[in-house]
Amino acid sequence: MSTLTKFSAIPYTGPAPTNRDPYVPANATQADARGEEIAAKINNPAMQQERGQDLPTFVVDKNAITDVLTALKNDTFVLPLDLFGADYPRREGGRFDVIYQLYSVQNNERVRLKVRVGEDEAIPTSTKIFKANDWFEREVFDMFGVKFDGHPNLRRILTHEMFQGHPLRKDYDPAQRWLLTEQGVAKLTPKIDPRFEDVDTDFERVTLNLGPSHPATHGTLRIVVTLDGETIIGADTEIGYLHRCFEKMSETHTYQQVIPFTDRLNYCSAIINNVGYCMTIEKMLGIEAPARAQHIRLMLSEFMRLSDHIICIGTNLVDMGALTNFWYLFQPREEILGLVESCCGARLLPTYTRVGGMAVDAPSDFLANSQRLVNMLPKFIDDVEKLIMKNRIFLDRVQGVCAISQEDALSFGFTGPCLRATGVPFDIRKASPYLGYDTYDWDVPIAEGGDTYARFLVRLEEMRQSLRILQQAIDRGLPAGPVIVDNPYVALPPKSKVYNEMESLIYHFKLIMHGIQPPVGEAYFPVEGGNGEVGFYVVSDGTKNPYRVRIRPPCFPIFEAYAQMITGQTIPDAIAGLGSLNIIAGELDH
Amino acid sequence: MAITRVAPGVVKVEREPLSLSDRLYLPQIVKGMFITLRHLLKNLLSFGKTLPIISYPEVKRVYSERFRGRHILTTRDDGTTRCVACYMCSTACPAECITIEAGEDDRTREKFPVRYDIDLLRCIFCGYCVDACPEDAIYMTRDYEMAIDTRARAVVGLRDLVVPPNFPVGPMGWRPYYGGIEKKGWAGGTGLGQPIRSAPFEDDAPPNPDVFRGEPRQTV
Repeated sequence: MSTLTKFSAIPYTGPAPTNRDPYVPANATQADARGEEIAAKINNPAMQQERGQDLPTFVVDKNAITDVLTALKNDTFVLPLDLFGADYPRREGGRFDVIYQLYSVQNNERVRLKVRVGEDEAIPTSTKIFKANDWFEREVFDMFGVKFDGHPNLRRILTHEMFQGHPLRKDYDPAQRWLLTEQGVAKLTPKIDPRFEDVDTDFERVTLNLGPSHPATHGTLRIVVTLDGETIIGADTEIGYLHRCFEKMSETHTYQQVIPFTDRLNYCSAIINNVGYCMTIEKMLGIEAPARAQHIRLMLSEFMRLSDHIICIGTNLVDMGALTNFWYLFQPREEILGLVESCCGARLLPTYTRVGGMAVDAPSDFLANSQRLVNMLPKFIDDVEKLIMKNRIFLDRVQGVCAISQEDALSFGFTGPCLRATGVPFDIRKASPYLGYDTYDWDVPIAEGGDTYARFLVRLEEMRQSLRILQQAIDRGLPAGPVIVDNPYVALPPKSKVYNEMESLIYHFKLIMHGIQPPVGEAYFPVEGGNGEVGFYVVSDGTKNPYRVRIRPPCFPIFEAYAQMITGQTIPDAIAGLGSLNIIAGELDH
Repeated sequence: MAITRVAPGVVKVEREPLSLSDRLYLPQIVKGMFITLRHLLKNLLSFGKTLPIISYPEVKRVYSERFRGRHILTTRDDGTTRCVACYMCSTACPAECITIEAGEDDRTREKFPVRYDIDLLRCIFCGYCVDACPEDAIYMTRDYEMAIDTRARAVVGLRDLVVPPNFPVGPMGWRPYYGGIEKKGWAGGTGLGQPIRSAPFEDDAPPNPDVFRGEPRQTV
């Protein structure tokens, strides 16, 4: 054996990534071709196609954005997925990118629009076209200071009223602290719904605060309602109490260090966030996790989805006084968290995935324990179904309560179980399969009505479908092989080599000190979270820190619709409706 | 819940109308009571063995051998700390909770930490420090009882972290992984169908019982 083979133990033979390589998405040609078709159909001279992106991308003149959005909506792009900003301070022709992402349910495709604006310029508002854009535009204003002409209520949303500056601007110093005193707290006066304006009643109108720390709100949310007797005639919501600057913190940490932060977005199904973030970076790097890692990711994602739905159903029933279901459901949830703990050493905040695979292999009894869980879960789901689904008190409290029409749900940017409860079969695991979801036999459950009851039905059925996927995954068994890619520029070398070989030790030091350096460019990757589409939009400038990380939080647009959903309902119904939306404050406030 | 298939890969959950006995409310309540009664009898007849209950702190939950609890710094056979103050752990730490000051051993010319503080209130227990360590120096234990009464006590230093040379690493938590050697682990679960040990963890107990009881650090 020559000394060379003895010491170069790492078989990676590919080139070392050179800094500032441009990122070329694998599907760039298809996206460009599709973009040309869309441009021909919309036929607006203000749309300039930007080529070489992972989605059909257009740079739109800011004055034409409402026309383009209307035309796209009238085409098939009815679901506004996201609206966010990005800051390029040294760029000529407007430092901010305001990025719109739309989805066409009919054709299963996405489109991305970019509007370039300077510091003092304003964009016409699109709140009249998509209802979701009300809060999204407020967020862009809050984070970047981009103004929207004609916005009905353009004020801060995630930071507080006494906050100075716009935190996601590149020239904002993240070490600053801003104090909120009592004088700065916003006085919310809900606008009374026109339906109830002229109603003559015997009651005095009362304005009531629910939250921000109220046991029924399941998180730090503030809901202000105006009551006429027991009927809510006007509602307003305020969020941002759990804002932890996920996006700004990502910019000051390395790609690997962001993974623990993603745990804290939707802490009820943290592994799904881990998977989504890591797969975005893997997409930029052009690598794929080994089959074994993908299998573990899929199984744990499904277990996490089960746990997420268990929390939603369990706590929602507690809000309605059905405590028994909560106890029955939380036993399997504890077992699921125990399984996660046996894999990675933490129950709620696992940080299990790494870019390129998993931190460690699953334990040898992983499949046996999974099988035990899959065997025991149906009994608990059946028990809960038998307890509530024929119970007239329960049915009277959920049927027709907090309903949202399909049109409104789409306009508000709903995804996940809440959208499927209105009858739209949109599930990313089917629409754009990842981790091999298309090789499993399972169905997307939908329901009609969009009320609390429909969301219950969809979640219960989704738990059964997750169990179907899991049973098939267990039957297939874990593929043999490593759980992380064999690429020293992405994954840490095995410790036995680090201790004994100079080359591995150098790779180890390089990776910790200089981090992963994806090629320059931007990528978006969505996964189906417990509440809907969890998407990560990452911009890389070739350095070890992400230039911009955007999380597409599914709760955000869902909670935006809440004020409209509860108007005309009573307070107990509003609480039941809030529970069925499964608002996770960590994700809502990112 | 009636399920009908509306399209390939899409099923619709139908809203079922209530039957007469459902409308009468009482028959369904009795049925529901039977379910709770079944659970009650099952738990009674098994004398609580199937109950997913752990009577903490008399009985403690056993976590897997990957558990990410409080840290320890391991030592070599001659009693010196393995840590060489290379700052890898503090660089890898996403929470920036590790503070190291390096010194030089006059005799051996080796670098070693004169100060190694972990702020456990900042720590997010992600295990990155363990993965980053090139010297096999920092492990995590299964110790999760870290209650403190002042913030200053959350900062643990060398005195609390360093363990003696022959400290048994077998029952430890998150450790560096050795290539193909598996990190052992099994589901802790709720204790249902799993062995539960009575407190305390004899072999898991940190060697320094006075942990977190050090002098409060002077903060500037």
